[in-house]
Amino acid sequence: MKALAVGLVAVAAAVACGPRRPATPSPPPGSELLVLLPDPDGGALGRAIITSASATVDLVGEREATEVVANRPPTRPVAIDEARIQQVFGDVLSALPPPPKSFNLYFQFDSDQLTDAARALLPEILRLVKERPVPDVVAIGHTDTIGSGASNFQLGLRRATRVRDLLVGAGVDAALITVTSVGEAEPLVQTPDETMEPRNRRVEVAVR
Amino acid sequence: MNGFRCCVAVVVLLLAAATPVLGQPSPPAGRIKVASGSAFIVRQGQSIPAHIGQLVFEGDVFRTAADGHVGVTLNDDTRVSVGPGSEIRLDRFLYSPAEGRLGFVLKIARGIVVYVSGRIAKLSPDSIRLETPSAIVGVRGTRMAISVMP
Repeated sequence: MKALAVGLVAVAAAVACGPRRPATPSPPPGSELLVLLPDPDGGALGRAIITSASATVDLVGEREATEVVANRPPTRPVAIDEARIQQVFGDVLSALPPPPKSFNLYFQFDSDQLTDAARALLPEILRLVKERPVPDVVAIGHTDTIGSGASNFQLGLRRATRVRDLLVGAGVDAALITVTSVGEAEPLVQTPDETMEPRNRRVEVAVR
Repeated sequence: MNGFRCCVAVVVLLLAAATPVLGQPSPPAGRIKVASGSAFIVRQGQSIPAHIGQLVFEGDVFRTAADGHVGVTLNDDTRVSVGPGSEIRLDRFLYSPAEGRLGFVLKIARGIVVYVSGRIAKLSPDSIRLETPSAIVGVRGTRMAISVMP
């Protein structure tokens, strides 16, 4: 029994190490190709952890790929070239929506009045909304930690609503704008409770 | 016996608590930004042609024929693009940062998909999962491409 167990472990280990072949150009039916791609907008590369048949591989490098065939362990990660990526994924990459762009509009203390600097940002937001073929806008209200959680939720909502009203006043269709509040739950700058912090009095506007 | 009854009562209460949540319509998860060719959303068993501007919901399946594409931007800025010959389900989409409820699961039955991470990945990296018929992918940002041959 013990010998059998050892044998099984050995077989499993052999399978897990796998045949060290690079990703093949024409994958067999049912095969899966998984690739970690660089962020198109210059952000961090990230990392992917792929598990199949109790074996795990990490993709950590640009264009690193692994293949999985019918519940076998993932193959050893290999970087594949740009031509192969275009061949398999070019089509689907071109159907990716444009990246959302976010702005922080700052507010005066305990108020839904924008700062002058925030008002000056509105034309750029409007330009972007008009430029996009299928725009929508999400306005998320934030507050600093002065006051109760519940009252800050309401204040955040008033701020986000103010931004919506300004955009609608400038000609944006109200149906494209979603207004929400997270109150003091997601501060830009972490502070103790009951702390004045101008950078946390904001509305995040995402144009998508 | 009393212990058993108590146990049953707890289970019944838990079920009762869970049921109304299942019955409620979930808020929209995002919006279709790109649609071309033969592309559908399958929602509660009904197949609806996908069109630009349409809202998408947790549980929606994106199904495309050989010429179909769908590109979606979700509420947390996650982006998903679905290529031809695909069947991909937005199995879970939870984005309520204030309540700490965050989660994203995409199930790829077949086809081609590109995932670009959004805020859920920043706030709760462990709650992001992409599932294929053979593999489970945990993604710590940012952009992942997957092809599942038929």
